[in-house]
Amino acid sequence: MTDVLVAEDVRRSYGDTVALDGVSLSATAGEVLALVGPNGAGKTTLVRALTGTTDADGRVELFGEAPTAVDRDRIGLLPQSFTPHERLSARELVAYYAGLYDETRDVDAVLADVGLSDTADTHYENLSGGQQRRTCVATALINDPDLLVLDEPTTGIDPAGRQALWELLEGLADQGVTILVTTHYMEEAQRLADRVGLLADGRLVALDAPESLVADHGGASQLRIDGEFDETTVGDIDYPAEMTVRNGRLVIYGVRPESIGGVVDELDAAGLSYDSLTWKQPDLEDVYLALTGTGVGRAGEPKAAVTATAGGSR
Amino acid sequence: MSRLGRLQSESRAASRAFLRRRTAVFFTFFFPLIIVVIFGVLVQTRPGGGGLFTREPAYYVPGYLAVVVLFTPLSRVGSEVARHRDGNRFEKLATTPLTRPEWLLAQTLVNTVIIGLAGLILLGLMVVLTGADIVFSPLLVPFVVLGVALFCGVGAMLGSLASSQDGVISASNGIALPLLFLSETFVPPELLPAWFPTWLSPLTYFSRGVRAVSTSGGEVLVPLAVLSVCAVVSFAVGATLLPRTD
Repeated sequence: MTDVLVAEDVRRSYGDTVALDGVSLSATAGEVLALVGPNGAGKTTLVRALTGTTDADGRVELFGEAPTAVDRDRIGLLPQSFTPHERLSARELVAYYAGLYDETRDVDAVLADVGLSDTADTHYENLSGGQQRRTCVATALINDPDLLVLDEPTTGIDPAGRQALWELLEGLADQGVTILVTTHYMEEAQRLADRVGLLADGRLVALDAPESLVADHGGASQLRIDGEFDETTVGDIDYPAEMTVRNGRLVIYGVRPESIGGVVDELDAAGLSYDSLTWKQPDLEDVYLALTGTGVGRAGEPKAAVTATAGGSR
Repeated sequence: MSRLGRLQSESRAASRAFLRRRTAVFFTFFFPLIIVVIFGVLVQTRPGGGGLFTREPAYYVPGYLAVVVLFTPLSRVGSEVARHRDGNRFEKLATTPLTRPEWLLAQTLVNTVIIGLAGLILLGLMVVLTGADIVFSPLLVPFVVLGVALFCGVGAMLGSLASSQDGVISASNGIALPLLFLSETFVPPELLPAWFPTWLSPLTYFSRGVRAVSTSGGEVLVPLAVLSVCAVVSFAVGATLLPRTD
């Protein structure tokens, strides 16, 4: 399949700060490629390099051409922290961007797609944060692009709006639109992306299908048992698995769902009480934490604390 | 979409955005009024007497017009560039068919209309309040259009080079105020030192040309030609400097 987007050994520095350090990736027609990574990892710089809005070393091609030479009708961009004219209505804003292209979709149809039909005549500054972001997404959709580049499109959008936008993007991908999306929401990347690229310190540290990333880097499943546990607890439990304790929570790794009953029996046998018990499969967030070393877990636990407990050498 | 269509879309958005900022609209049109009231009514011109305002009222037409032709594009375009940059709008526009010269041309068109209206109000007030004997020649139009284009270009440069909207305002005031008084507008050249090079200021050619046209006396073509060259260069440099992202 032909590559819509190609980046080879892309490098960009700002003074002594290296924003991109030899990033290579590609995307084919209809593929959804998600970029995740900590703040400052280089996601936005990579988006700018790919869209030709910043100069970078290396090779970047869209549809076989340099980004600045490609037919601009084929690209739809939502920049990060994009703020359009604040005293124009959502309809006026989308119509304004429509007026810049040769061929566009119907303005009202695009507004309906992003769920703004009822507020189309409200000035942008009077829309809620989520409605504002959806208006911005609409400006990227109006030219019916073949390549849609969205830099954190769902930031500030409520869960229902996010779901609706995901469905819209999935529909576009089904129609053959290539979508490059950056996000801080791992759930979003896992749900939408055919492949996920993980950036850290300007380098692409992983690029694969979400399930492959999870299998390779996500680690074991976790049985999280909340109570008043401490490090001596680990020695009281006769169960053949790796365990850690942090802030009163006992975590047992690699427990299969059908084995949870056995763990409960062991807790009872050891005379240990607990408040709640949660089983969790590894997911993209675990991959993110493992590969970026950002050190904050799902429950706000420092990652370093998880690795430094009695359970072993995870 | 043709270039004309893109210009229409950008101009429509820019004019709506301006007209809905009521404070900006009010002061754009109130500014000429207070300038004429202060200098034309309170200070008054005293032909034959000593001091700054010693010429007939019509002599000061270029000065009053320069107030809007100079200040409004500098501050409006400069601020608009800063707003666009802060909101990442240029990054978005860089991926649309709209080019940077087209963007600046659209801003120039909107400013020309706004300043044209403000200029008409100003000239009307001069006639009514100061009794100025002004020739309303159609040749005033190219001078105003070229002056607006010139300072829209300078405003684009300031907006692109200044790091913030506050910086744009400070820089535009720092440039506009000296230019206003050292370009043969309100201050006749004989009140300045003989060595002072008023010919270096592009606004001088606006003043000379507008004065020649509005009083039916003096050279018109040379000021028009120099102002045209300055406007083209300024517009080209301003459009080139407009940012994409960083």
